[in-house]
Amino acid sequence: MSVKYQAVQWSPYKRRYDLCLAIGVGAFLITFIVVSKLAWSGSNAIGDEVLLLRALGATAIVLLHLILCIGPLCRLDRRFLPLLYNRRHLGVVMFLLALLHGVVAIGYYHGFGNVTPLNSLLDGNTQYRSISAFPFETLGLISLIILFLMAATSHDFWLKSLSPAVWKSLHMLVYVAYVLLVMHVALGTLQAERHPVLAMLLTLGVIVVSALHLIAGRKETRDPGRAQRTGVWVEVCGVDDVAPDRGKVVDFPDRERVAIFRNGRGLSAISNVCAHQGGPLGEGKIIGGCVTCPWHGYQYRPEDGCAPAPFTEKLATYELKIENRRVWLNIEPMSPGTPVEPAIVEEVDRG
Amino acid sequence: MSFAETLVLLAALYAGAGLLFAMAFVWGGVARIDPAARGSSVMFRLLMVPGSAALWPILMLKWTQVKGRP
Repeated sequence: MSVKYQAVQWSPYKRRYDLCLAIGVGAFLITFIVVSKLAWSGSNAIGDEVLLLRALGATAIVLLHLILCIGPLCRLDRRFLPLLYNRRHLGVVMFLLALLHGVVAIGYYHGFGNVTPLNSLLDGNTQYRSISAFPFETLGLISLIILFLMAATSHDFWLKSLSPAVWKSLHMLVYVAYVLLVMHVALGTLQAERHPVLAMLLTLGVIVVSALHLIAGRKETRDPGRAQRTGVWVEVCGVDDVAPDRGKVVDFPDRERVAIFRNGRGLSAISNVCAHQGGPLGEGKIIGGCVTCPWHGYQYRPEDGCAPAPFTEKLATYELKIENRRVWLNIEPMSPGTPVEPAIVEEVDRG
Repeated sequence: MSFAETLVLLAALYAGAGLLFAMAFVWGGVARIDPAARGSSVMFRLLMVPGSAALWPILMLKWTQVKGRP
């Protein structure tokens, strides 16, 4: 959180994250080039320009698979959450790699004619009804435009300026870009390189991404935490189900999710949706007495849903009560920022 | 002129207009439509250029609305 925008809100964690990312990308590029040089040598040797554009493209699509897997992995296992905290840097790096791939490819294949490279790309091959000769470069170009829009609007300024709903819709286009890129690679591989290992790896990637999304979605709809409703007050969990300084998400089929937090002996409930970027607050933890969003560190006081001064974000709060060590939630939300007395957990007499 | 040539020309015109708008916007408009951008660094403003060039019609509308306020 910041009163004044900064280019990047650096933290020691983000620096470590980006260092690991740079090392990983560098290692992948070098490994790809060395292995390709060894695999295609002699009369089958690939030119350096082609090798470079393939290495950049391969790194970008592997990174895109990783990015798409992080969300569902975090919903399945909280230990993956640290990967989520700086995912936007992954996205920007992935776009830059894809851009370099596009620049090298367009320059190499379309840069030496008597028409402009982009005209050559769009007009050079128009066999859109053929699978074996489909102009796959066009698919790559469209997905690159989508990735550019996402990378260019990844700063918090855009989230606020475009509104969270519009921003979220824009960034959901990553799935359109993913489908186009899978087709781009599949059709390009079909035309240029028929090695079965590449097709198998791509298929494996699509299966992993799809399966993780399906499993995570299924887990959420079958979560035992989904409450049974009896009037306005709903029994949601036991007091011991909410770990100290942690949250528990309660899911209602037709309502916004609620995050219940334990701060000391007090239990409080607020909306699960962060006012900043819609992050899942229930997957965060209490730091310095405030619920801290796992995505970008926005904070809210659990007892009134307000961000600490000088920030002004407010979330809906909910009433809680405890009966026989079971937690009951009033499913009607209070106005954002309404103070609610925490429900106190009585210590069990173990004597 | 082919469809592709027309498309590339229109895209170039859009991007050119966007870049010109972005230069003015990041130095003058960004802080008008979002007070949190007041006094922000040069790096932040440079980071806003690509997005401003791409989404300039939306930003121009917002900037105009802010200018019109008393």
